[in-house]
Amino acid sequence: MTALLTILLAFFQLAPSSQNTRCFLCHGKESFGVTEQGQFRSLFVSPREFAASIHGKFTCVQCHVDVKVIPHFIRPQKISCLQCHFEGNTAGAPVKWMPERYKESVHAKALEAGNPNAPDCETCHTTHYVKSPTDSTSTTYRKNVPELCGRCHKKQFEAYSKSIHYKALESGVLGAAVCTDCHHEHDVLPPSDPRSSLSPEGVVRTCAKCHSDTLLMEKSDVPVQQPQAYSESFHGIALENGMVKAANCTSCHGHHDILPASNPSSPINPKNLPKTCGKCHPNADQNVAKGKVHIIPGEKSAGVVYYVYTFFKWFTLIVLVFLFVHIILDISGYVRRKYARHE
Amino acid sequence: MDNKIPRFSRSWRVQHMLLMVSVLLLMISGFSLKYSETFWGKALIFLEGGFQARGSLHRLSAVLLFITAVYHLLYISLTKEGRSEFRGLLPRKSDFVDLKNGILYDLLRKSEKPAFGRYSYREKIQYWAFFIFILLMLLSGIILWFHDYFFAFLPKWAFDVSFMLHGGTAILVILFLLLWHLYIVHLSPGNFPANSSFWHGYVSEKWLKENHLLEYEEMKKKGMTTTKDEREA
Repeated sequence: MTALLTILLAFFQLAPSSQNTRCFLCHGKESFGVTEQGQFRSLFVSPREFAASIHGKFTCVQCHVDVKVIPHFIRPQKISCLQCHFEGNTAGAPVKWMPERYKESVHAKALEAGNPNAPDCETCHTTHYVKSPTDSTSTTYRKNVPELCGRCHKKQFEAYSKSIHYKALESGVLGAAVCTDCHHEHDVLPPSDPRSSLSPEGVVRTCAKCHSDTLLMEKSDVPVQQPQAYSESFHGIALENGMVKAANCTSCHGHHDILPASNPSSPINPKNLPKTCGKCHPNADQNVAKGKVHIIPGEKSAGVVYYVYTFFKWFTLIVLVFLFVHIILDISGYVRRKYARHE
Repeated sequence: MDNKIPRFSRSWRVQHMLLMVSVLLLMISGFSLKYSETFWGKALIFLEGGFQARGSLHRLSAVLLFITAVYHLLYISLTKEGRSEFRGLLPRKSDFVDLKNGILYDLLRKSEKPAFGRYSYREKIQYWAFFIFILLMLLSGIILWFHDYFFAFLPKWAFDVSFMLHGGTAILVILFLLLWHLYIVHLSPGNFPANSSFWHGYVSEKWLKENHLLEYEEMKKKGMTTTKDEREA
């Protein structure tokens, strides 16, 4: 008897979807819904898609804990992801830093302030069809992120969709920057926040994350030395020392609609450089386009600067040797003469 | 008893003092920027009153150096004393012979030290090295300081070259100061701990005889090696 019960229990435990069939009797019908204040609200949940989601092996009532009898006649409470995703949970739900970081974000702050459009977990992750971000059908899959954010941020998406990053993404470079690479997924902070990935100092680190990644840059045929060269430049050193008015990456390259220098509408196109530099340096004219930007003096690509650098390197070394030899000669001569006198 | 012989005029000493103060300040404020990512660079910037104050200090000292340079150029071109000093500092064929003999002397191949005039190859190397360095530093420094103005005339690479030149020359300046100037006037035998003539302008008769024999003999001819009391007696 006990054995039979155990088997039965195990059966229900192992096959939760069979438990969900009772829910899907109603919720599995596409036309199922209620009319609230004259508006039809669908209560349909696709059994197939739910089963394919990361939560597909769970029963509906594991989240909708207030549903005790089926069919239920009261509207279940809005559920919270933190019901399971908390430290020490027994359901085996992974606990990461995301919810905590989210609480600091502009999204959470807007939600707290009463903005009904501010996104919560389910806005991006969906309610019933949550999938891993590595799943290409997930809303949070890299390639789908721009459209996901673009659902609300229409203007930004429009600008971004013109950019070289989006073009690369479309052409299959999955590593190309999407919204979340710069803005972060959960801890989206305003640029005015010093912790933000988009504060003046943060921007440089944010861009460098990908632009100093040799493998990724090789794949996209983009030179990898830019972040290092920037950090050694006037602008980079000034910014590093707290002069936030110094130009950072976005000051010249723009942000959402970043385009390569070869594109005539890019702010770093040689024709547009006087205007771009002119934002801070009023006398800038075509001269600013004569010469390379982001140079590393020790590399041949730096042009004339490389030769000046090389001259100084060798000349300094020769001078150093000459000065040392002179001192050693002088002291040894003095000592030996003194010694010779005592003989 | 050692006689004190006057060697440097007041103008010379004032120029040296101005140069010393401005170059020291420029080095402290300059290297703290060049090495701003290091611990000691950060410490220096802090002592200078922060990043912006560091910049102001550097530019202020640069103005002092500029004034010193102009003063010096006027001195060597307009005053009789300056012209004669400058003539003494011009490189001559004999300097190369002196250099060769100096090395042979130090290698014990020659028993006699070469007899130097008022300025030996040592002082001449020092003078001309700094003459060129200061010219380069002032030129590149002015371009970097007034970059907004120069944008109208100079291509972008000229600023990169100036930047490179400014930093590269700075290293040469400090090398020459530490290993040539500091050695010659402070650490070399006979001068330790310091040759104080930069301050009061006097050197001892013994020192002059040992280091600048020809100058000593000339002074002797003029009767300047004797003290006032001896002359009167």
